[in-house]
Amino acid sequence: MNAIITSAVCGVIMMFSSVFVENKKTYRHIAAVLLLLLLAVNVADTYGIRLFHIDTKGMLLFDRFGYFFNSIAIASTLIYVVLTGRDIEKVGTYTAEYFVLIFFVLCGVTILSSYNTLLMLFLGIEILSIPLYILTGADKRNLKSNEAALKYFLMGSFSTGIMLMGITLIYGATGTFDIYVTPKETITGQPAIVYSLLESAGLILMMISIGFKVSAAPFHFWTPDVYDGSPGVFTSFMATIVKAAGFIAFIKLFDARADASGVEANAFTGVDWKMLFAILIVSTLLIGNITAVFQQSVKRMMAYSSIAQAGFMLFALFSLNDVAKEGLLLYAAAYSLASIGIFAIMVKMKDHTFEGYNGLSKTQPVLAATNTIFLLSLAGIPLTAGFFAKYYMLASVMKTSGYLWLVIVGVVFAAVSVYYYFRVIQAMYFKDGEATITEEVSKGFKVGIIVLAGLIILFGILPQSLLQWFYF
Amino acid sequence: MSALTILLDANVNSSANYFQIGIQLLVAIGIVIVMMVASHLLGPKRSTSEKLENFASGIESHGNARAPMAIKYFLVAILFVLFDVEVIFFYPYAVNFKELGWTGFWEVLLFVAFFLVGFIYIIKKKALQWED
Repeated sequence: MNAIITSAVCGVIMMFSSVFVENKKTYRHIAAVLLLLLLAVNVADTYGIRLFHIDTKGMLLFDRFGYFFNSIAIASTLIYVVLTGRDIEKVGTYTAEYFVLIFFVLCGVTILSSYNTLLMLFLGIEILSIPLYILTGADKRNLKSNEAALKYFLMGSFSTGIMLMGITLIYGATGTFDIYVTPKETITGQPAIVYSLLESAGLILMMISIGFKVSAAPFHFWTPDVYDGSPGVFTSFMATIVKAAGFIAFIKLFDARADASGVEANAFTGVDWKMLFAILIVSTLLIGNITAVFQQSVKRMMAYSSIAQAGFMLFALFSLNDVAKEGLLLYAAAYSLASIGIFAIMVKMKDHTFEGYNGLSKTQPVLAATNTIFLLSLAGIPLTAGFFAKYYMLASVMKTSGYLWLVIVGVVFAAVSVYYYFRVIQAMYFKDGEATITEEVSKGFKVGIIVLAGLIILFGILPQSLLQWFYF
Repeated sequence: MSALTILLDANVNSSANYFQIGIQLLVAIGIVIVMMVASHLLGPKRSTSEKLENFASGIESHGNARAPMAIKYFLVAILFVLFDVEVIFFYPYAVNFKELGWTGFWEVLLFVAFFLVGFIYIIKKKALQWED
């Protein structure tokens, strides 16, 4: 509760700082301080210090999982703002408003990590999405940014409509908006088959619409255009924190029905959720990885890579056990940190194609070295956080008997992903060229990015250092 | 009296009870279809250019509706919608004013305060300033 209210209030404070503070450069400092405050408030909430006592009538449920994810999201945003705040200033004239929208997105994130009814899920998704539509079109003079914003808005609204339809059907079947429904609560005296059909149809619609938000494969078509068109700094935010929040919402919804995901539980309708998610995973991995191989621009490659990484995060939705939930948190942290780093370096580059990175190791050795660590983490090489993230995901599938083939598919596609991540490393280290950056990188940026790379290695060697906090 | 016994004895879960409603539905749809088809077939057709024009409360229309417009109108219209919604929220509050008591009052006050904050922001950002 602390984080939800504080993030909204922080947004309002940012709004008024845009009115009363003239100097553009102070905005990011204000934002960083407010994010620190938000993080502190959320950690306090984790340890039982509640600032607000509000009866939510069971619509919000705060648990350790949600608090922990909030902390990851807020800390990632803090790192993001500290590293790329200078680039946010360059996007347009409304610098403070961009931070405002980021705070409002965070408000949506915190709702999504604690919702307990479908109503709050819908609200959270909307609070999360609407500021993002604006951020996508932040570069008002750029035609591609406008196109991306319009596409994102139209497709996003459509998927929200699908979600509402799903909620309606589930409500019709169970008579409640609660996500935890025990079978006996369904209306008795009626043929159960109708209700289980309605509920399954509703859940499939929910799966489609949240699948859209996290860009899972058959619903991924908006991702490359939107990520490519929107300003690089905001792509970074969308592809990391927002996507992770989508997954948290996803797993909370389906975890509530984890016991009923087998084929036997759904004998009436014949829906096999495990198989459905397996299909989603395989198509996401296939499309994300194979298309990423053929990209010429690093920004577009990262867009497809984010689809591929979503495929890996979907493994948690498939297995829905303890390892999966734990692993998803680790994956969210590892993926967000690494992607924020790559995007932070990318927005400094003049040329976003692979050729633009040629010879970066000679002109900017620090950037090249840290970028290598981030790419290795995304590829899942040991000693980086990405390795254990992928390990947890695959281990969770191993605990589900009968789906060994899915693990093999996952490993194969992890190997495919190495190809396009290493193309960037190859360009930086083994190709001659003059990689130019738009402006001289400051010492602070270098320190920040080294700390980020250090964090990734720390989580790679001691993943428990992050997860221990989860259990403390 | 017999109607009352039917109502009392009716088994609500039986689909037979919906028979009359079904008939009514069919009749209603049938009337619409018949009238539309009949007027289409029987009515005289004299299409003149006046008939095809856009109807704007009797005033002669001039120009195209798709003319570019100053963004200020749009901005004001959007802001109007926001505050209009605020006013609409007062109606249910007014109806339940007594039942909600002081808690309701504080909550509505909070709601208005939020709007006021937004309003101050709009004013300070000079969104309502008509001339540059």
